Amino acid sequence: MSAHLRPAWYKALERTTLFLAVLAGLSLLFMMMVIAVGVVLRFVFAYPILGSNEIIQLASVAVVMLALPYCTETRGHVRVDVLDEAIGRAGRFSGDILSRLLSGFVLSALVWRAWLKALDAFEYNDATNMLNLPIWPFYAMIAAGMALCVLVFAAQIVLLLAGRYEQ
Amino acid sequence: AELKFANYMAPTHPYVPGAFEPLAEKIAAETGGALTVRIYSGGELGAGPTDQYSRVVDGVAELAVGLPGYTASSFPMTLLSELPGVLTEADGTATLWEHIDVLQPEYRRVKLVSLWSSAQNLLYSRAKAVRKPEDVRGLKIRVPSRNAGLIVEAWGGSPVSMPVSDIYNALQTGVIDAAMIDGTATLAFKLGEVAQYLTIGMDTTISPFFIVMNRDAYAALPAEQQAAVDKVGREVSDLGNRVQLTEAQKGIDAFAALPGKEVIRLTPEEAAAFNALSAPVVDKVVAEASAAGVDARSVVDALKAK
Amino acid sequence: MSPIFVGTIGIVCMFLLMILRTPVAFAMLIVGFFGLWMLNGIWAAGAVLLTESYAAVSAYSLIVIPMFVLLGNVASAAGFSRGLYEAAFAWIGRFRGGLASASVIGCAAFSAVCGSSVATAVTIGKVALPEMRRRGYADGLSTGAIAAGGTLGFLIPPSTAFVIYAILTEESIGRLFMAGILPGLLMTALFIAAVLVVVSLNPAAGPRGEAVPFGRRIAVLGQAMPLVAVIVLSIGGIYIGAFTPVEASGIGAALVILLAVARRAISLAAFRQAVFDTVKTSAMLYMIVIGANVLNPFLAVTHIPTALGEGLATLGLGPYGSLAVIILTYIVLGMFLDGLAMLVVTIPIVFPVIVQNGFDPIWFGVVVVIVIEMSMITPPVGLNVFVVKGVAEDVPLTTIFRGILPFLLAMLTGLLLIILFPDIALLIPNTMFN
Ligand code: NA
Ligand code: NA
Repeated sequence: MSAHLRPAWYKALERTTLFLAVLAGLSLLFMMMVIAVGVVLRFVFAYPILGSNEIIQLASVAVVMLALPYCTETRGHVRVDVLDEAIGRAGRFSGDILSRLLSGFVLSALVWRAWLKALDAFEYNDATNMLNLPIWPFYAMIAAGMALCVLVFAAQIVLLLAGRYEQ
Repeated sequence: AELKFANYMAPTHPYVPGAFEPLAEKIAAETGGALTVRIYSGGELGAGPTDQYSRVVDGVAELAVGLPGYTASSFPMTLLSELPGVLTEADGTATLWEHIDVLQPEYRRVKLVSLWSSAQNLLYSRAKAVRKPEDVRGLKIRVPSRNAGLIVEAWGGSPVSMPVSDIYNALQTGVIDAAMIDGTATLAFKLGEVAQYLTIGMDTTISPFFIVMNRDAYAALPAEQQAAVDKVGREVSDLGNRVQLTEAQKGIDAFAALPGKEVIRLTPEEAAAFNALSAPVVDKVVAEASAAGVDARSVVDALKAK
Repeated sequence: MSPIFVGTIGIVCMFLLMILRTPVAFAMLIVGFFGLWMLNGIWAAGAVLLTESYAAVSAYSLIVIPMFVLLGNVASAAGFSRGLYEAAFAWIGRFRGGLASASVIGCAAFSAVCGSSVATAVTIGKVALPEMRRRGYADGLSTGAIAAGGTLGFLIPPSTAFVIYAILTEESIGRLFMAGILPGLLMTALFIAAVLVVVSLNPAAGPRGEAVPFGRRIAVLGQAMPLVAVIVLSIGGIYIGAFTPVEASGIGAALVILLAVARRAISLAAFRQAVFDTVKTSAMLYMIVIGANVLNPFLAVTHIPTALGEGLATLGLGPYGSLAVIILTYIVLGMFLDGLAMLVVTIPIVFPVIVQNGFDPIWFGVVVVIVIEMSMITPPVGLNVFVVKGVAEDVPLTTIFRGILPFLLAMLTGLLLIILFPDIALLIPNTMFN
């Protein structure tokens, strides 16, 4: 989408997703470092870190959830483009609205459940097995990441209806 | 009504005919067919053992089989039973049910249907014959739980955590030198192909299994159907225990039958050397749990007294 | 409404959504969610959504996705991938389609360290696709070669698919791995043959390069060294037990970054872009995993997979008739379903039929894995194709699927050869273990 078409509020949304993607990148590098350090300690110094896989797994939650809004905003999701011409301009327009409405609805359901689960995990002190790391922040991260995706879908629907979203 | 039973194991797993199908049949029989159970095997309702408890809490399935050890933070008291010397293979399940009222508060988020103690975890060793604690020194050993890790540390080894599915490869290439897991692993994970020795006889951990039911789904049943679930669940606990012990023994026998492989059966004296080192682990875990507000000492004493 | 009817409607809706430009991940997610809502209620549907999302993003085995994507992106940005291809091109570029053949060989080499088809396609794709484009290769040929070559990840050991098959059928993992070697090499050769057929029919698809003098060919080998070193260290590290195949992905990424920094081959801006691209591609792939994992429980409660399996057992077609029906069913199901999920759900139903008909279970494992691989590149749902599309964003999916056709024919040929000559699969395991 060309820059002059985007209203200021959409640019703010873009900046937010970009900022979270920076954090996702840092989590990614952190995850790589934990793997490498763990291997070196275990193989070279025969000193394995018990539970390093838990750090790696939780880091991967952060990578995906922080990057998903950016991926959604920059239209990184793979779709089937075989019949784009065949369905015509009206078909493309209604399809773009419909798929964002439905996707947004399903992700909203996910946000709601992830939020409930975060509260539940907080209340019951759910933690990982080896390192006893609290789990609720990671459910909260799913709720937040998916909520931002819903916001992105909503914003794109508004732009589509205003005719300010280029395909 | 029909209850969905989530089973992460393959439909061909001995647990299916040995415990899960009997559960379905018995519940149908007890309720005159008013309540039925449909088993979804092979992780059809969601793969892998780790998230089965969550699936029942959240309501993906009404029933699921799982291990409390995968969500250890929710079951500090139940998992005291896995500590070395607390339960015996032979009557562990009966002992657990004897003291079930003490454990019940941990199952606030679900309905506990069945609970059974399992087979002793054993030591599958890649190349080194383990007969005394000195043999373990410096070995990297995959452990199934934090408690098992403390035991390995007490013996002088280095505990490593990794998913069950990675053990075969890791033993083959030498990422780990040994793996602590029960005898079913010979057949279920083919560890007989990659381990040279299997050491048995010392006290290790005994990882319990459970079948849990969604709390709201249970509450919605009429009283007589609830009673049927309770009764059948207790019976299936014994069936589950029997399947696990039978399969573990089959695994030990299968390992012994492999050409060139050796099952090392420790003598009582040899085992005592290991057990002397791991005994303080019980006190350490009890102290930690007590600090976290669990009356761990009385639970351990009660389970030990049977 | 019967569950099977709801399931059928659901599958139809999924295709409608895809036609209406809904991303594949969301089409699966939407149908899975609403289908479960209809059959089990909204609470259970939301529960599946939640647990599958958390299970996918926190899965230890899936961390190879971001790590291998990072490896590939940094290698591209640092010019290492180009170095490898300069070398490959110097040696075989003067043949028609030489780089596409080199990509297939690259995939085969990488498969020897990596158990995942998707990761193989991503890594080699990141390296090879930009180079083939630069040299004027047709998009269909280059993307097809990578998507198909990536499937070797499952056939050449180590292989996630064989491990799952072994656990479901209680067969030996070691035997299955051994059984995959010759079919893997055969398939590599058939893919190269497919490249040669394509370029002989359409010479413009894979242009012939200039002949490079011998001295230059030796000199240019040095440019291939960084990536060759990473591959050798990764294979070597797994072989000597320094790390697991999953950890190898992180070690490989760290090594590539170290090399890039040490050789001052990458700018900070280029590195930042490589990391951005990595998290974006990873998020896209994880979303597909989530979508597939929400769709699968829905299909399970429609009882469609079970009904198909039971129907087959009652037909009474004789050994090769049953085998033909099983393979055809797998190919059709594989168009829509995730390969590994299909394996888990169907093997328990199909396996007894196979054993009763006297087929060798190890040999059938190889057959099934090849069919699973085909499912990863057949339209409309082909995970490897989506991955390649993620790397070559501006190439239409239609072009990729069209480019895959010759490789699909190569796979069918390979499958037929292995059915006619079971020894291709069984020679090595029978020699080694008996
Ligand atoms: Na492989
Ligand atoms: Na497909």
